Amino acid sequence: MTHLMAHMIPYFPDYPTSLEAARALIDAGVSFLEIQFPFSDPTADGPTIEAACTTALAQGFSVDRGFEFVKALAGRGPEIVIMTYASLVISRGVDRFCRDAAAAGASGVIVPDLPVDSDEGLWNAAEKAGLTVIPVIVPTTSEERLQKIAGVNPRYIYCALRTGITGTRTELGAENLAFLDRAGRTGAKILAGFGIQSPEQVRTLKGHVHGAIVGSALVRVISQAASPEACYESLLGVAQELVRA
Amino acid sequence: MSDPDRIVQSFFGDFGGRYVAEVLRAPLDELEVEFITAMQDQEFLRLYRNLLRDFVGRPTPLLYAENTSREIGGADIYIKLEGLAATGAHKINNALGQGLLAKRMGKGRVIAETGAGQHGVATAAVCAKLGIPCRVYMGEVDVRRQRPNVFSMELYGAEVVPVKTGSKTLKDAVNEALRDWASSFQDTHYLLGSALGPSPFPDMVREFQSVIGRELIEQTQERGIVPDAMVACVGGGSNAIGFFAPLLERREIRMIGVEAGGRGSATGDHAVRMEGGGRLGIVQGYKSMFLLDSDGQVQDTHSVSAGLDYPGIGPQLAYLGASGRVEFTRASDQEALDALRVFARNEGVIFALESAHAGAQVLKTAKELGPGKTVIVNMSGRGDKDIFITAKELTPQTWKDFMQREVQEIEAKEKQS
Repeated sequence: MTHLMAHMIPYFPDYPTSLEAARALIDAGVSFLEIQFPFSDPTADGPTIEAACTTALAQGFSVDRGFEFVKALAGRGPEIVIMTYASLVISRGVDRFCRDAAAAGASGVIVPDLPVDSDEGLWNAAEKAGLTVIPVIVPTTSEERLQKIAGVNPRYIYCALRTGITGTRTELGAENLAFLDRAGRTGAKILAGFGIQSPEQVRTLKGHVHGAIVGSALVRVISQAASPEACYESLLGVAQELVRA
Repeated sequence: MSDPDRIVQSFFGDFGGRYVAEVLRAPLDELEVEFITAMQDQEFLRLYRNLLRDFVGRPTPLLYAENTSREIGGADIYIKLEGLAATGAHKINNALGQGLLAKRMGKGRVIAETGAGQHGVATAAVCAKLGIPCRVYMGEVDVRRQRPNVFSMELYGAEVVPVKTGSKTLKDAVNEALRDWASSFQDTHYLLGSALGPSPFPDMVREFQSVIGRELIEQTQERGIVPDAMVACVGGGSNAIGFFAPLLERREIRMIGVEAGGRGSATGDHAVRMEGGGRLGIVQGYKSMFLLDSDGQVQDTHSVSAGLDYPGIGPQLAYLGASGRVEFTRASDQEALDALRVFARNEGVIFALESAHAGAQVLKTAKELGPGKTVIVNMSGRGDKDIFITAKELTPQTWKDFMQREVQEIEAKEKQS
């Protein structure tokens, strides 16, 4: 089966709704929760997630509260991965960030702007804390670069299905699937995302990936909900369809 | 030009680097190689030099500010009139260099960010000259307060895209340009305008801006001027690093960088990164000093000048500050406006608001150094573009009357047609 990694942002659109969103994703049976700690300047994200991060910060998100949020969800089924940007990790201190993430119950971290060889000690700190670091690659990543990433033995590799930023739909064809297979030959489990919105796309990925990542599409569902309860209901439906795909 | 082995340093002490998502790795690696190759290509350099002369109008003059020096009774003040370069600021030195590089790399499209609009205007002009389609990202707030520059960019044929995210200023324009580049790098060059961002941008911008310092060496030698101090304003830092870099080895020269003191020292009221306010961080692909809260979120900034309100500082300047080679100080909005008036009345020179921060400091430094010494200030831009800000500040009523008449005229014309 194809696992589902669902992306969400604590404190978006507000704290209670984001908590209901997380509950819906857990109840839908996602295998991974990718919890993004909002950063003021998320350069790898598209407009949907960028705007959601701005709202979350205005709603009072802080890194401490982010870890509290993770703690409240840990042990309820899905593996929790914290996604954020270098600034938040560096400001807390790489070691402390990893220790706090592990203590909150996360199993991994994704920090796109701390790539292998410019990681500021993230890989070591994560290993010490018992966390896994999930590197992100793109179809234009060279073979040489991929081998360098494979050299640090990542448990998972996050494959962005195209270049660019999150949020716009990706056409899945022979080319991206070949890219996933190329990444899979490193021995890492492949998680694929960027522009995945429909169960049909998740089905296309079957056999090529360990998991499909859905981000902006879920954030849009969350942003349209009128109340925490409505958010739970609508997100549960959408997520269930994706999980069953 | 500089030693090719040293041309791309990437790290300056602990500052700099290439902290980018994997997607931007390949284009930056490619850019580094292409840049180093171009800088050793005599044909490329010849073309660059010729256009600096014919298109940009270099060399820019070095003016003795005689009346001001006399009035202060301190050191002799010289002004490097960088603002007399085409499009009104030093920005075109780098825009031209990178524009030629983009052409050499076969990129059919250029994107750029702009704060005050000077880099956008320079890029738009260069792209017009070189025949490359150009899109400029500009914060919505900056679009509003720098309308004359938007007008010029569009006249040059560029597409100006207002950025509505975040603080809607320069840093957000950089974010948008990076987002565009992440999907367009195969046919697009990102023409970054300041000495910041992921490597090789800080090195590349310094090299293209170093024409300022190299000219200064020639001009001072020719005229027997021996500088004791040099002063430049610092937003991201491109004019300062280009002004300082060729003279860094001359340890006897004091170098002073001036940040935007804004309207006070509270968070959001200034853009002082070096003089106590900044923290070491990684933002927009490089490690440097940034205005961050304890979580690492980028803080709001303010300056009367749109070009200085950036929350980070170029990594080489951060390093030069940390090592003590460059001293950092601040000038407030008010001090900048005062200096603007001093140089306009005494020297017949209107500084850009950014450069007026350096102007404010040079008045202090000249007094402090005393007679018999020499201080050179870089007037990175001229002040024409700021008229909608400066006139509003300095002569509010007259300006208001003028604007009202303008509106009435436009409305009358609309009625007729």
